[in-house]
Amino acid sequence: MKRATPPPLATWILEHCIAGHCDEALAGDLLEGYSSGYSDGWYWRQVFAACAVSWSESFRARIPLLAFALIWSMMAPAWKVFTDGIQSAPVFDRILPYFGPVWVFPSLAVWLLLNSIFLWVGIFVFLVFRGSFRFKTLLRKFLLASLIFLPIYGVAWVWGCLYWYDFLAQVKVATTLLGQVADLQMLANVIRIPYFIALVAALWSADPRPVHMSQLLLQESPPVECSTRFDSLQQAVTQDPHNIKQFFGFMVVVGLVNAMLASILLGRLFDLQSHTFSTLFIRAILYVVIGVLAGVGGSWFYWKNPSSLFREHSPIPFPLFALICASGWIWVPSMAMFSDQLSPATAIVAAVGAVFLAVGLRNATFSVFAPAVHDSAGCESEEAELFSQSLYRAPWEAHGYVITFLLYAGGCALAMRLNLTAAALFALCAFLFVWKLAFAPNHELDRKREYRRAALRLACVAIPAVLVTVWALLDGEAHGHRADEMNAALAASNKTTSEHAHRKTDSQSSAYGLGGYESLILWPVPEKKQIVPPLPEISLLPPGTTQPLIIPFNGQYWYVQPPNKIPGPAAHQANGTPLGYEIESINSTPLVMDAHQALGAAIPVARCRQIQVEIENRDNRMGVIALAVLLTDAASPKNQVLYLGQQPVVSTEPEHFSFKSQPVFETLRFPVPASARIRRFDEITVMMLPDVEHAFVGPKIAIKQFQLFPR
Amino acid sequence: MLELRFEYFFAIIELMTDRSYLGEFELMLLLAVVHLGEDAYGVPISRELEGHRGRSVSLGSVYAALERLQTKGLVVSNLGDPTPERGGKAKRYFRITKKGLRQIQETRRTLTRLWQAVPELKLVMRGERG
Repeated sequence: MKRATPPPLATWILEHCIAGHCDEALAGDLLEGYSSGYSDGWYWRQVFAACAVSWSESFRARIPLLAFALIWSMMAPAWKVFTDGIQSAPVFDRILPYFGPVWVFPSLAVWLLLNSIFLWVGIFVFLVFRGSFRFKTLLRKFLLASLIFLPIYGVAWVWGCLYWYDFLAQVKVATTLLGQVADLQMLANVIRIPYFIALVAALWSADPRPVHMSQLLLQESPPVECSTRFDSLQQAVTQDPHNIKQFFGFMVVVGLVNAMLASILLGRLFDLQSHTFSTLFIRAILYVVIGVLAGVGGSWFYWKNPSSLFREHSPIPFPLFALICASGWIWVPSMAMFSDQLSPATAIVAAVGAVFLAVGLRNATFSVFAPAVHDSAGCESEEAELFSQSLYRAPWEAHGYVITFLLYAGGCALAMRLNLTAAALFALCAFLFVWKLAFAPNHELDRKREYRRAALRLACVAIPAVLVTVWALLDGEAHGHRADEMNAALAASNKTTSEHAHRKTDSQSSAYGLGGYESLILWPVPEKKQIVPPLPEISLLPPGTTQPLIIPFNGQYWYVQPPNKIPGPAAHQANGTPLGYEIESINSTPLVMDAHQALGAAIPVARCRQIQVEIENRDNRMGVIALAVLLTDAASPKNQVLYLGQQPVVSTEPEHFSFKSQPVFETLRFPVPASARIRRFDEITVMMLPDVEHAFVGPKIAIKQFQLFPR
Repeated sequence: MLELRFEYFFAIIELMTDRSYLGEFELMLLLAVVHLGEDAYGVPISRELEGHRGRSVSLGSVYAALERLQTKGLVVSNLGDPTPERGGKAKRYFRITKKGLRQIQETRRTLTRLWQAVPELKLVMRGERG
């Protein structure tokens, strides 16, 4: 027997689990259908289908938001690396102890603030480009994002530790900015998840924008022609809007290229010598004026060309165009000089110039580039009163994604020191941003007013532009001096320094070029008083010897990353022992550490009964470390080796582990077989065999000496 | 011979994106709304569809599709008076707009042309075999 009312749980699900608000009409229809004889099963099926369809539609309508959150959260690993760097700054180590036992709260607050900044910028960018920017809602979304981020991050962290701890402990975030953004490994994705969820949750209500049906109706009404624009402009626009727009953009680019060429030529023609500030200032003014004139001249040439569209009917007068663009072209000389000096300021100056260019052009050329304006007055429809409810519309606005992409690409180019490329990308990004951000004027184009504004803008920009050019000139002078000094130093170095020092310089310079070290060699610190006698070449464990041969370690420590087995030619070299250095892998490849002791002469394997390795352990990281010993016959054609096995370092075992304020000395014993593949050896290699905890860090264990016991 | 210019490409793309054809389900919904006239709300529309399609239709998907059509301006809706048999919930009546009617007619013309081309195609194929 069927009940009179539908299943209450299903009704509750319909009212509470549907995306957005439950449609009253839908609920009523379901109730009517149920009353007319449909079963409970039908009702349940309809409720589940309604929930599924509503969520599907809701996600479909928010595809732009999801795509934006996905793209933005791709940057999260890079941001995390950046914030980790900030949080590990020494200043925090000094400040946090003042908070005593509650140090965790300020630490957490700083962490949350740093991560929230990333989310807030994302929210701001999205809202600005969706055109739904309101200060009050912005603050609410900021707060919501931070509040959501904290628990989501906690859950993601606990979840990751519970299920993938072993895996996550072994992988690390990529070292380069591009690598961090493009990293699709598990760790990077786990980092991204909280940012993605927090962004989507905070912006969910902001997208899509509600659109009233009356507005939709008005869009259908035919546009009413506006007669408020002045005639020449209207005529130009009505000729061929696409061509007008293209030609206008061409004019701007032509002027820009001309200004750039003139600036580059100026930099090449006049070599900088030492100058006073006043001469530099005058020179800067000259550069700026020439740059602007070159831009104006280039544009004028094409503007007045017989084949030009603007020759007869131009959307705006050429003097106004030149005045507007001059506030952008004025930055070109300084940008060209910074570019010549390989300075990252190139990108900043380019972006600033693009901003001024966009602001001026946007105001004055609104009539050319603005979309068609529909006059809604008098377009009342008889059906308008039917639309008491608001509906959602999912507009497609690609420029936000283009700007984000340009921002990423510019950042990557900057990280790769491609300053000119970065400048072009940032300039384009800034131009698009301002172009879309700037509000279109709702008044008629008033020439006098636009002239006044353009002149005022140029006047305001002129002094900063000249000062920046002075800065570029000063920087160029310093850059030139540094280059001269480096050349002189290199020339002197080539003549006087030893081969070792020369190698060191080479490796350092190449390492700087790489931004890190591919491998590393530690040489022992030469002690001033203790003189290690050279090993006797013939008397190493001669027959009849009963006393052990003591060999103090004076070899090298090698740090390499597989698949490399030996340090490369660009290996960084330094003096010291593992006790004095924190050496760790900064990519996802583990670190391999060996200690190599050359004996100077061969020792017959049959003469040696046991080798004892004395070590000094100052490692405070938990995890068992074992040492393995290899004997090498370097004189043999194939560099034959004898493996003596491995022994654990007792002080690193869990039952003996303690935090060491003082070093722990240990002796590890390795028996030598009487008969082996090799008959003699002239090098002892000690391999560090760490566990997972030490896979990416060099153990703080130093070899003190070897004792070779005769048989 | 026409010169292929760059802006033609964009013009074609704009025209293509501007032209939105009706999907199968949307066309059926519009026809059901036209057929039901003044009585076109959720339950009769879904029954109409079920009767012609021979399988059940979820009311949720009917409303989602009608929302889309309303956003496109092909239908309009208004709320009726609440009734006790519906638990005090109002009916939402849908009506087709002029734009919706134009769209239906255009779709019909297109489909008719396509169907008319089918027998010719068969004849050509038979002729080739023969």
